[in-house]
Amino acid sequence: MKKLTVLITSLLIFIPLGVLVYKSQVLHLSLIPQMVDDVWNLHVNVKPKGSVYSFSFPLPRSAPGQRISDDKLRSRDYQIFVDRNSDSTMATWSSKSMITGRISYSARVDLKPISYQSIPKDYTETYPRGLDKYLKVPTLLAEDQEAIGALETAILEGSEDKTSLIRKIYYYVEEEIQRNTDIKTIHETLNVGKGSPLVKAKLFNIMARRKRVPSRIVVMVRMPEGKKAKEETKLHFTFANEVFLANKWIPVDTNRGHFGERPDGFLVIHRNYEEVEKIISKKRVSYSIQAERARINRYNKAEFKKEVIQSDSIFGKLSLYRLPLPIQTMFTTILLIPIGALILSIARNLIGIPTFGIFTPILLALFFRETSFGFGMLFFSVIVIIGIGERYVLDKFYLLAVPRLSIILTLIILLMLGYSFYSVEMTSFSHKHLAFFPIVIVTLIIERLSIMITEEGLVNTFKTLLGTLVIVVFVYSLFFISSLEMFMFTNPELLFTVMGLLILVGKYKGYRLSEFLRFRDLVRQKKKLESKSHDL
Amino acid sequence: MIFSDLKNLGILGINNRVGRYILRHNKRANYPLVDNKVLTAQRAEAWGIPTPENYFIVENYGSLKNLHLKLMSYDSFVIKPARGSQGNGIIVIKEIIREERDGEIRILCRRSNDKLMDVEEVRHHISGILSGLYSLSGQSDIAIVQAKIDKHPIFDDYSFGGIPDIRVIVFEGFPVMSMVRLPTRSSDGRANLHQGAIGAGLNLSDGKTNNAVIRNQVVDIHPDTGHKLLGLRLPFWPEILELAARCYDMVGLGYLGADIVLTPDHGPILLELNARPGLGIQIANLAGLVPRLEKIRLEAPKDLLARERVAFSMKHF
Repeated sequence: MKKLTVLITSLLIFIPLGVLVYKSQVLHLSLIPQMVDDVWNLHVNVKPKGSVYSFSFPLPRSAPGQRISDDKLRSRDYQIFVDRNSDSTMATWSSKSMITGRISYSARVDLKPISYQSIPKDYTETYPRGLDKYLKVPTLLAEDQEAIGALETAILEGSEDKTSLIRKIYYYVEEEIQRNTDIKTIHETLNVGKGSPLVKAKLFNIMARRKRVPSRIVVMVRMPEGKKAKEETKLHFTFANEVFLANKWIPVDTNRGHFGERPDGFLVIHRNYEEVEKIISKKRVSYSIQAERARINRYNKAEFKKEVIQSDSIFGKLSLYRLPLPIQTMFTTILLIPIGALILSIARNLIGIPTFGIFTPILLALFFRETSFGFGMLFFSVIVIIGIGERYVLDKFYLLAVPRLSIILTLIILLMLGYSFYSVEMTSFSHKHLAFFPIVIVTLIIERLSIMITEEGLVNTFKTLLGTLVIVVFVYSLFFISSLEMFMFTNPELLFTVMGLLILVGKYKGYRLSEFLRFRDLVRQKKKLESKSHDL
Repeated sequence: MIFSDLKNLGILGINNRVGRYILRHNKRANYPLVDNKVLTAQRAEAWGIPTPENYFIVENYGSLKNLHLKLMSYDSFVIKPARGSQGNGIIVIKEIIREERDGEIRILCRRSNDKLMDVEEVRHHISGILSGLYSLSGQSDIAIVQAKIDKHPIFDDYSFGGIPDIRVIVFEGFPVMSMVRLPTRSSDGRANLHQGAIGAGLNLSDGKTNNAVIRNQVVDIHPDTGHKLLGLRLPFWPEILELAARCYDMVGLGYLGADIVLTPDHGPILLELNARPGLGIQIANLAGLVPRLEKIRLEAPKDLLARERVAFSMKHF
């Protein structure tokens, strides 16, 4: 019998753990989905300057490294025309009367860094006609043309393919041209070796095109970092380049020193500066761009679902990620309940913390999670107060037990009504939450509380209430470890491990921690007696 | 380890009590025999075990109608729920006062704490019992009206208010530990350790008190009477133990707590049985249960009569 227990317990505990190892080591599945914390809420406000009947502004679009979703345009009664035909998206507003109002655009932006590890050598001579505009060298002063020509002979000598040419141009502009925001023309830059970020991008652009490499200046905004990420921060346009090498547009940033990569946090608004130079100039429009982090601690479930299904194993077929989304959300919480119950078992049977009812602490913790900690505590206090008051008031009426309970039930519903009126006015809490909590259970808690007060006294009752609260807080904080939540959801077989651990707790025959205190006086007296008999 | 002291003293903890003794030695099917006092009394009558006389039983609200007629024929009585625990819901009426006013007879009941109740209040209390107010799981219950037991004179100096009772833990039919619970003012006259009654350990060999505690703390004198607690020696001691030992044969529970009271004229009688007796008795005796339980389990001879089992316990513990 005992061997059987050991066998079953170890099977329950270790088989799921073995499955876990198998999944990660053999199938190379991740144990929890990747975290995504690079989702942003973007807000753009634009207002034309002067008296115009129509104006345009570039809008970001989904592309490698950036995904735009939930985009919304709000603009009174103006007509909108959104042009998506070129490499960038341009919106044009027009109206029969003069445009005086402000146009706003908002979207959810999901950013990922992009990086090209190795760019193959490129000997392309002819490009599709669509790229012609990226090969056109802007007109320059003769003096500047000469200077650039001299530069080319100095730095580009001996290069055969376009990729190494571009790399050399990049090194030159990135390292030799110092950053100086006051210098804003190519002419000056060539003379003094300094230039603003935009001018550096322009110089790189000219030099690339002169060597017949399609090149363009991209207009970007950089997402705020650190603390600023949580609040809305005003963003400014910043510039970098893209060059067409080996049939791909490769990002290049001569100001921040990136070749073949665009780091996290850059959102491309428009891919051809030449087309929007005038549109985004402060003379034509006033605009503000803001972004804040959408939500932290989000897990990329969709990616993980793909990963699991692609693994083509039994786990792919049994994965909870195949369930419809609302059911998934429900189970992420439900799967934590057994862990809460394990904690409860340990607290009661190993430590000896008295709790009120058996699963009441877990129910309360769920309620706290459903609403909020503050509201949960408020509600809990109300329950306690009603529980204390109930006996004193209702005892006077000599009521039978069931009608008496029903009165408390009705009282709870009245309180909920009152609270809903309050919350509609205050809008501080969401009142829909209340409906989730089983009211009948609250009633039973109150009745049991009031019986306990009469039977065991206030002191014992408050000890038990305190014990209950401790466990509620513990289980509640468990619900907020989102990695644990995802871990259980991804690997629900661990429920068997929980059962195995519960058998271990159930088999524990030793003392409870609380008994150490309970029998403390006995031990002390016994020792006193023993030392006395030794003295004799 | 912090538990080594407890282990050395052989203290029985809750987990051990449940896992090793109650679950293994007590058949769940036999629980109703001890949890329901009506069933206990019926069984006891068949076995010739003395219990307080049950006057009548109230099973439904309808029979509350002519309650006053039923009560009028008694001088005193006790009302208790059949499935109550820890003495909750028990009312002791020590005197019935009949008043005649304008040709109508009115009945007043004087409680043990001298408060007066009219029949309406008694009826309300019983209907509370019926609706399950005092039963452990809250299910509906029945009320027992039984004879009030008088205090044995030996307890006059040791008890405040109510009647002391003697708890005997019986394991496989052998008494293993015992204590007497003495009501105090703070326990409101009840023999309930949780509410502040005195628990005084009793030697199984001679029925003498060996130690006393209130709420787990050792005490020397009764806080209300001022009387020294050590040195009390209970009369009818072998009879008390034998009565407890026979309860094992009666209900077939291996680990059992028998609550016995001493009456002035009938000797010891069984008050109630408990399938999950508490562990505070170890503090009252300053001794652990485990060595005694294990001695019974490993060394005690099988198939003994109750009297022989008592002799074994009196000799060894």
